Amino acid sequence: MNAPIDLLRARISDAAPWISDQDAQIRVDRRHLAVAFPQLPRKVSRSQLGSGVTALGPAQCDLDGWRRCDAAAAILLLQCKATDAELVDLYAHGDLEERAMLLRSLAVLPLSAGTASLLLEVQRTNMVLHLEAAICDSDLLVRVAEAKLTGFGQNDVDRLMLKLAFLDLPLKRVFSAQRLANVELSRMLSDLATEREAAGRPVWRDTDRMLALAPVPGTIARILGGLEHGDDGRRLAAAEALLLLARPELRVFAAERAPREPRPEIRALLQRVHG
Amino acid sequence: MLIFEPHIHMYSRITDDYERMALAGIRAVLEPAFWLGQNRTNVGSFVDYFDTLIGWERFRSQQFGIHHFCTMGLNPREANDDRVNQAVMEILPRYLEKDSVLGVGEIGLDDQTPKEEKFLSLQLALAKKHDLPVLIHTPHRDKKKGFLRCIDLVKESGVPMHRVLLDHGNEETIKITRETGCWQGFSIYPNTKMDPHRMVQIVLEYGVERVIVNSAADWGVSDPLMVPRTATKLEQAGVPRARIEELVWKNPIGFFAQSGRIDESALQRPANSNLRETFEGNSVLRGQDPDRV
Repeated sequence: MNAPIDLLRARISDAAPWISDQDAQIRVDRRHLAVAFPQLPRKVSRSQLGSGVTALGPAQCDLDGWRRCDAAAAILLLQCKATDAELVDLYAHGDLEERAMLLRSLAVLPLSAGTASLLLEVQRTNMVLHLEAAICDSDLLVRVAEAKLTGFGQNDVDRLMLKLAFLDLPLKRVFSAQRLANVELSRMLSDLATEREAAGRPVWRDTDRMLALAPVPGTIARILGGLEHGDDGRRLAAAEALLLLARPELRVFAAERAPREPRPEIRALLQRVHG
Repeated sequence: MLIFEPHIHMYSRITDDYERMALAGIRAVLEPAFWLGQNRTNVGSFVDYFDTLIGWERFRSQQFGIHHFCTMGLNPREANDDRVNQAVMEILPRYLEKDSVLGVGEIGLDDQTPKEEKFLSLQLALAKKHDLPVLIHTPHRDKKKGFLRCIDLVKESGVPMHRVLLDHGNEETIKITRETGCWQGFSIYPNTKMDPHRMVQIVLEYGVERVIVNSAADWGVSDPLMVPRTATKLEQAGVPRARIEELVWKNPIGFFAQSGRIDESALQRPANSNLRETFEGNSVLRGQDPDRV
């Protein structure tokens, strides 16, 4: 398995001299990291990196969501062996773009107390850009949850997932998110959905998909109700959730809905449910 | 007509100002780091303020489609304050590399003390090192002498004059500055400094080459719409629209583009506006209809 730094270096080899020069200056004076970091978009460019889901060491990352400067940020931080204190400092005093580069880099940096601190910060923000950079398009959140980092517990993982729902970001962008399902998270998502419904606001489309993995009281009624929802996305999620639940006593509802379901892909799922 | 407001302290303005500015055609603002009305007692207050200029204030501005830029520097008033002056110099290098920082400023002279001169010179050297243009605040008292001294210090520093904007000028100072090659800023105020009528006379007499107008609006009696008001007065006085556009759009962009960090074509579009986002969990957007603006 090639190291992430080598894989990323190969993707932006033309930037290597500039990055190495910055690394050399950082080795002389660590304060130079804070001076070099904001220059990355100007020096390395903001153009898309690309090439889809890629294994970078232990991490899975969708590089279509990365830009060249994100890759350069990760290389620079790995190369200079940035400390947790330096990572937190870069976030605290970084502009919106610096924070995004830093957060995206977390996926390929060693998991540490710094990772935990920054994810806790992101949990406080509602900046879509930053939540996406931190937990979307990679398996970072699952790896952090399973690593059981000090200072970052299950409640923190749940709250990040709740923030994903709060900001209406797609579940599939958190790789292997199904491994994060638990009844407390289901309760939180159910409460959010009820609150949104009471206010006449849209509900996160992926709610049923997560609830089905760790049902709580009310889950079945919510999923069955979803089969009649006017939004195709909500009905699709409900049909997938019904399949995940695999409850024989619920087959009758799928059988009843299937002939009336206008969308072929949803109808096919319902037919699988009732067999 | 699009307007680039090249000197305004939005930190001290309210959201109604942003909305009125956007409606009046102001597409971009530049906010120079400045004195907050009272001296800061430690460098941490500067750090928080600088972080605001590159973070929160940009976010606020974008909610109204206005691009936000800034300059960073130690203002002349606090250059006299030994509690902070040297420490601010130490934190400036990281901020001068931020993408939205288009220059060093506002630096300059106020009481015209030796300490002000020392820190003006040190910051002119920083501008050279970071390859940035310089926005210079000139004194409100004994202005002519202060202008002359600023020009001397710029010449000593080796910063080329075309990379310097000498701000807060008037009818007297333009006689000094127009031959130096520097850019000349005029702050249009409701009562003090310059007013739109006097600015019209300056444009009619001297033209718009290397001339920049701003509102310098802050926490005092000031008006964030002074640039569009001046543009209207110029049009009424018969100044061709092309010249007015040069004054309120092309000139400020031309000066700050020397930083290499702005692109006029990007400014033709409104800044990203997503009213569903909040900043660090701050719920300032409460009650707004995200689809209304």
